[in-house]
Amino acid sequence: MASRRRALLKIIILGDSGVGKTSLMNQYVNKRFSNQYKATIGADFLTKDTVIDDKLVTLQIWDTAGQERFQSLGVAFYRGAEACVLVYDITNPKSFEQLDSWREEFLHQAAPMDPDNFPFVLIGNKVDRESERRVSRQRALQWCKSKGSTPISYIETSAKEAVKVEGAFLEVVQMALINSAQQPPEIYVPEPITLSQAQTPYQSQSSVDSMCC
Amino acid sequence: MAEHEGKGGDGGEVPAPRPDWLPDGCEMLADGEYDAIVMGTGLKEAIMSGLLSTLGMKVLHVDRNNYYGGECASLNLTNLYNKFRPGQPPAPELGHPTRDYNVDLIPKFLMANGNLVKMLLMTKVTRYLEFKTVDGSYVVKGGKINKVPATPDEALRTSLMGIFEKRRFRNFLQYLAGYDEQQPDTFKGRDLRRMTMLQLYEDFGLDENTQSFTGHAMALQRDDTYLHKPALETIKSIQLYVRSLERYGKSPYIYPMYGLGGLPEGFSRLCAIHGGTFMLQCPVEEVLFDDSGVAWGIKATMDGVPQVAKATMLIGDPSYFPSRMVKPTGMVARSICIMDHPFNGTNDAESTQIIIPGRQVNRHNDIYVCMVSFSHCVASPGKYVAIASTTVETSDPLAELAPAFELLGPVMERFDDVSNTLTPVEDGTADRCFISESYDATSHFETTAADVQSLYERVTGQKMDLSIDPEVEQEEG
Repeated sequence: MASRRRALLKIIILGDSGVGKTSLMNQYVNKRFSNQYKATIGADFLTKDTVIDDKLVTLQIWDTAGQERFQSLGVAFYRGAEACVLVYDITNPKSFEQLDSWREEFLHQAAPMDPDNFPFVLIGNKVDRESERRVSRQRALQWCKSKGSTPISYIETSAKEAVKVEGAFLEVVQMALINSAQQPPEIYVPEPITLSQAQTPYQSQSSVDSMCC
Repeated sequence: MAEHEGKGGDGGEVPAPRPDWLPDGCEMLADGEYDAIVMGTGLKEAIMSGLLSTLGMKVLHVDRNNYYGGECASLNLTNLYNKFRPGQPPAPELGHPTRDYNVDLIPKFLMANGNLVKMLLMTKVTRYLEFKTVDGSYVVKGGKINKVPATPDEALRTSLMGIFEKRRFRNFLQYLAGYDEQQPDTFKGRDLRRMTMLQLYEDFGLDENTQSFTGHAMALQRDDTYLHKPALETIKSIQLYVRSLERYGKSPYIYPMYGLGGLPEGFSRLCAIHGGTFMLQCPVEEVLFDDSGVAWGIKATMDGVPQVAKATMLIGDPSYFPSRMVKPTGMVARSICIMDHPFNGTNDAESTQIIIPGRQVNRHNDIYVCMVSFSHCVASPGKYVAIASTTVETSDPLAELAPAFELLGPVMERFDDVSNTLTPVEDGTADRCFISESYDATSHFETTAADVQSLYERVTGQKMDLSIDPEVEQEEG
């Protein structure tokens, strides 16, 4: 059974600069939102412990650290991702049009075993600015349907007003867990050594909460 | 990927006024003005940009390739073939063309207590990487592979020496273990600042063979010039080797999962989270100098538009600077071999370092072999990647690696490379160009770390603080 699978899930968030990747992550993990836009500085990865189906799962959510601005994310960023969250801004059609290239970039760099069934989730962010919407829900759903045999899940959120952020990540985690359970067992690799057991500065912010379903 | 603008979303931004330094007909490259522009994402450049950004400097880091690492990249099979055998697809029996392999172009191991590890701990770049120990450290004598004996116990068990020599070597190791530069009572009447290493060896009655593996496989000297220098530096190197070995037990070396390419990428991410701007695939065509010969910026043409960025200093590997600014120091020959078996005589170790002291094969310079495999996730299951390297001495560089090929046995595929090593002519204080040295043939990072320390000191005017103690850090938890 899946019980001996590792409980650490690496999740990466991709999308154009300014769509709200860091805000979504901060809202989900720290329940915080800042109105001041700063091209991401200082965001690394956030970790969050969560319980799903009585199992403790540690999420490690990686931000792009601003390296997406000139498409300069390296292979180590993508490596080992268990799920990928694609984000666009519903008021910015260009950020929607870039989704294909972000998805392709991910599949190329991460080279998952089963690219057709790799868990992507699409987030249309900034629904708090509904009046400025330039990408229809219909168009986004159409895009999700056109990728692979099973449609990509689509959720519209507001990181600013904490609308559906929790639910979006829950969806991501569940898909990541299913994907992780379907992976062939890895070849035996002995445990790596620990150079330093010092925790990341962000782990102190992590919280345990329950998301039983 | 297609080009897309930064800072999407909020539209309606007022364009900044055109700065007066921007030459006519040129646009700003990225944000235009920076404290430092770093060119090439090799390990040395990546450590520098990471450190400078943590000091609060605004850094633009560019690379002409579409991947991180420059000469220090770890390539998958497809990229490896593109580089060495353009137009030829990878042999299917080797494994998956993009997933299984991460082959280093410059093979090196990290000394567990060495300066690169200190830099990783100091910057916490360790959080992006996983390391595993290297299974064994070996030295060749009379064509045979022997484990390097580094503890008094191992000294007594090794087949490298006869029974009396073993005791003398054990005495030598015990003296070293007790020696502390700060405590004169541990000197036992020897002044290692004045005594040469050869005199110290002779004082302990060690023969040439023992001197050879001690100096080359433990102190990691590249030739025999150290024999006539004061013993202290060599003694410190041996102590580093012994303490690194005691750390994890199997060998003094560690190596990152998925190859060395993760190192420059980790330091680059450190720079990015401190606000550094990264541009891969940036075709830098020119370093810009003012009338007095001081560098002030770089130019790159993208989508037909010449773009310029300005900075108070430029840091980079030699390939980004005009050839008049660097001079050759020699050549390195490297051979990357993919094999389906480990080395004979290493207990089937899945990763090893083997040093062939020059003297063993009538050479001046040592030959190094680094072998890693699937156990560090750099090759497909059952495959091994061994890289032999040496400093070139003749007009037939690859023939010089023959003693290494003899150890390897049959190989499935072999990629050869001979490259010039370059060093900067000036130290950069006058022209603001801080240029790194090419990577040498050594199979460890100690010389690399020394060059980074030198760059750091030239750039900041301060010595790098490497006082962090890897062993203390480990115990903190």
